[in-house]
Amino acid sequence: MTDAGRPAATGAEPETVADRRVHPATVPVRFLKNAPSALLGLPAAYAYVSRGDWSGMLAVAGVGILVVLGLHWLAWRRFRYGVGTNDVVIESGLLTRTRRSIPFDRIQDVDIERGPLQRLFGLATVRIETGGSASDEGLIDSVTLPEADALRAAVRAGKAQVRTGEIEAAPALPAARPIFEMGLGRVLVAGVFNFSLVYLAGLFGALQTFRGVLPFDIDDPGRWIGLVEDQARVGVGVGAIVAVALLAMIVGLVLGIARTLAADYRFRLSVEGARFRRTRGLFTRSDVVLPKARVQLALLRTGPLRRAFGWGSLQFQTLGGVVAGGQRQSVAPLATTAEMGEIMHEQGRLSMPDEAAMEKVSSRHVLRILPTRLGLPLAAILGASAVWPPALFALPLLGAMLVVAVLERRFHRYALGDDLLFIRSGVWRQELWIVPTARLQTLTLTRSWLQRRLGLASVLVDTAGAPMLGGPRIVDLSLARAQALMDRLARAARG
Amino acid sequence: MQPLERGQLGVMRLHAAVLALVLCAAATAAEAVLAARVEAMPPGLVLGPVLALSAFLVLFSPGRRYRAWAYAMTEDELRIAFGVWTRVQTHVPLARVQHIDVIQGPVERAFGVCRLVLHTAGTANSRVVLPGLSRAAAEAIRDEVRARIGREEEA
Repeated sequence: MTDAGRPAATGAEPETVADRRVHPATVPVRFLKNAPSALLGLPAAYAYVSRGDWSGMLAVAGVGILVVLGLHWLAWRRFRYGVGTNDVVIESGLLTRTRRSIPFDRIQDVDIERGPLQRLFGLATVRIETGGSASDEGLIDSVTLPEADALRAAVRAGKAQVRTGEIEAAPALPAARPIFEMGLGRVLVAGVFNFSLVYLAGLFGALQTFRGVLPFDIDDPGRWIGLVEDQARVGVGVGAIVAVALLAMIVGLVLGIARTLAADYRFRLSVEGARFRRTRGLFTRSDVVLPKARVQLALLRTGPLRRAFGWGSLQFQTLGGVVAGGQRQSVAPLATTAEMGEIMHEQGRLSMPDEAAMEKVSSRHVLRILPTRLGLPLAAILGASAVWPPALFALPLLGAMLVVAVLERRFHRYALGDDLLFIRSGVWRQELWIVPTARLQTLTLTRSWLQRRLGLASVLVDTAGAPMLGGPRIVDLSLARAQALMDRLARAARG
Repeated sequence: MQPLERGQLGVMRLHAAVLALVLCAAATAAEAVLAARVEAMPPGLVLGPVLALSAFLVLFSPGRRYRAWAYAMTEDELRIAFGVWTRVQTHVPLARVQHIDVIQGPVERAFGVCRLVLHTAGTANSRVVLPGLSRAAAEAIRDEVRARIGREEEA
């Protein structure tokens, strides 16, 4: 926090001087952040004192706290950073000094993140993003918010200078123009759609861990339901089951809303020249920058109810950048089709598909998926009926599976526009992939044994920055169409 | 589409032979243990099927896999086809290649082949491997792609 001010833009200095320290309040913030895990060490200290007298234990704890505080203070003393004409320099390490220089032209962008403790102290973490994979490569933790903003501005200005070769006054940053915001009401509605029983399962997992200390036995639903059962010995079943199901629904709903509130409270997406900037979060406010040119594709998700209201969520897949939460960044957790279209339009390359142009995949797709959609449940029912014959009454369910298989083919559509590839799939939850053909990396056509018997083929397109699994794919086209599509895609990918 | 060098078949067969040898050794051990423990065990209960599997792995499988491989270098892309049960055809636009390796392991050196690895910025398919090229062919493709990457960057 020396007053070295902005980087001297003289260009005379040969090497950047790391002359700035992070804010001193970082020491207590880090200490408090690590305190919960340090508390776990207390029983160990207790055992160490062995005689079990409290004063001894407190003494050990006190010494421990002082040592930890001292170490944090040393780390703070030894951490310096500086912004030069060409690079950002970070020096760290207690015994082994590391001096890391991050050249401006390697910096993708600068993100600012604020956790609850940091907000209490008015601090922020600055994350300098390079294409590299190490997430703590350019972490400056923590500086005051104005300093964080100044750092970001300095790096951007520096980048611009490097690019234009101009040392004189940096170009003024374009003003932020909000294009999508979510009020409290919208966030709550989004939370309702985030209803999930998965987290309920997680809660059960947590309960399992603490089963020893809980006053009831969670493994015995009879005892749970027993609360109801005791009062009405006769005809328990239905009422109790409905009560438990209702409770599960309510918990799932509350958890969904709480999760969404924490992540997306005061969600705002704005445009600053060639970048999107997204701020969101209740406890941890994050401020993430997504350069428009780095967007690889858009993924639009929607469910049955949201679809009825014309709502969906929009994500952009970006290249590089080590942003918490993966490479697919939410740019609209709950938005109308028009709003999502506007965000995509703002990106420049993306747009919504022309529904009339979306083609269905081959009708033999239904046949191809029947073995898994119909065969497995059939085997399960037959297996169960060997033990318990009434299981055969479940056979009509197979009819429903058949309907699902037919619907799957109906909803799996694709279209190749001038420079965009659209792929839609899913019956219950739908996904719509919008991939600029200029962003395609490799194209793959696969034909499994069954597909070859049916004259079908799948086309997979690989894009940059995607998670390993679940990329865009068109399943079960007729072979001729798949090959024609491959040729068109290859031509489009060449640009 | 062009087939791979004949030497690649030898490489595949050798790899299969090593695997078969390990399987057979394990089967022999299992057979010995079972014979000592179980009364009246028919000889060859384990070893028989494993020997049959090994014969398939060494004699038939490499040939089928070898014949499934093919590649073609066009002006703008490298096409690769492989796979026996699931046939896969991959197109790599040369403009998307980030960098390129030519690799030759000891076994490959003995059979006079090497393998070309194309790296793209993609994810699931960021490494596309084409084995069984002659050194000259691999280097020719590498030089062509490299020249192309240079041109793209100037443009």
